[in-house]
Amino acid sequence: MGLESWMPEGALTTRVDELVKWGRKNSLWPMPFGVACCAIEMMATLTSRYDLSRFGSEAIRFSPRQADLMIVSGRISIKMMPVLAKIWEQMPEPKYCISMGACASCGGIFDTYTMVQGVDNFIPVDVYIPGCPPRPEGLIDAVIKIQEMVANEKMSKRH
Amino acid sequence: MATQEESIAAVIARFPDDVVGQGVHAGQHWVFVKRERVIEALQLLRDTLGYDMLMDLTAVDYLNQGAPERFCVVYQLYSLASNEYFRVKTWVPEGDPTVDTASDLWKSAPWGERETWDMFGITFKGNKDLRRILMPTDYPGHPLRKDYPLKGNGERFNFPKYSR
Repeated sequence: MGLESWMPEGALTTRVDELVKWGRKNSLWPMPFGVACCAIEMMATLTSRYDLSRFGSEAIRFSPRQADLMIVSGRISIKMMPVLAKIWEQMPEPKYCISMGACASCGGIFDTYTMVQGVDNFIPVDVYIPGCPPRPEGLIDAVIKIQEMVANEKMSKRH
Repeated sequence: MATQEESIAAVIARFPDDVVGQGVHAGQHWVFVKRERVIEALQLLRDTLGYDMLMDLTAVDYLNQGAPERFCVVYQLYSLASNEYFRVKTWVPEGDPTVDTASDLWKSAPWGERETWDMFGITFKGNKDLRRILMPTDYPGHPLRKDYPLKGNGERFNFPKYSR
């Protein structure tokens, strides 16, 4: 009866859509754009105490070509913004972005002549984390929210 | 090697008409020299009085504070032999913000002059490499001037936008 009767023991059937999304969501490789104190909390999230590898995101990729999740952690000056944009361009689709902390999200306390007022002015941001800096739990929550987003979107939406 | 008091006396003795003021605060002495003679005064301090290190070269903007001129260029000197600091200041008018370069005296001077030009727009005559050092190369204006807007002139929104 059905396909299962033809298959050996231990195999199962699913849809390609579900399989790819399952793979994507459990292996989000972050590109750490760490430029300030939020990056310290990001590093703490990767340590054994908070252990981001529980969610499949421990493989930090310093090459944007191998990453699919950008974590902007820190204040972005207007001299740094072209660098950030170039790295964002180099990341292959599907790609996601977390804006970590007050400075990356809205400029924070740095409302000055040299500071970008939120990276979402220039690149698309999926999840914002409030805090100055946020605790590692905040970053873990953001990664889980990205995972939920990945699980609920259509595979064909991102090529 | 001279103490700071002896150094002030030596500078005044050498340039009696060009020293326009002096002062002391917290044990640190400074002397105001006219900007036409400031390089010669620095050379005297370096060669004769033992201040062999230029620790910092910067400027102050005295906009609307009743100062003789708007800008003041500050040279912070240090004597490695006698462990003494000394400060030379010179007034720079707003209409002609130009000072002679000190890059022939110290190798560290071009860096401070580049920063001072970047931040205050003060030109250093004779500096061959007066490029921006802190701000992006295409940045308009000199942001540490007191009349520069605190939130900029819109430079921070001047980037291409990416979308999904």
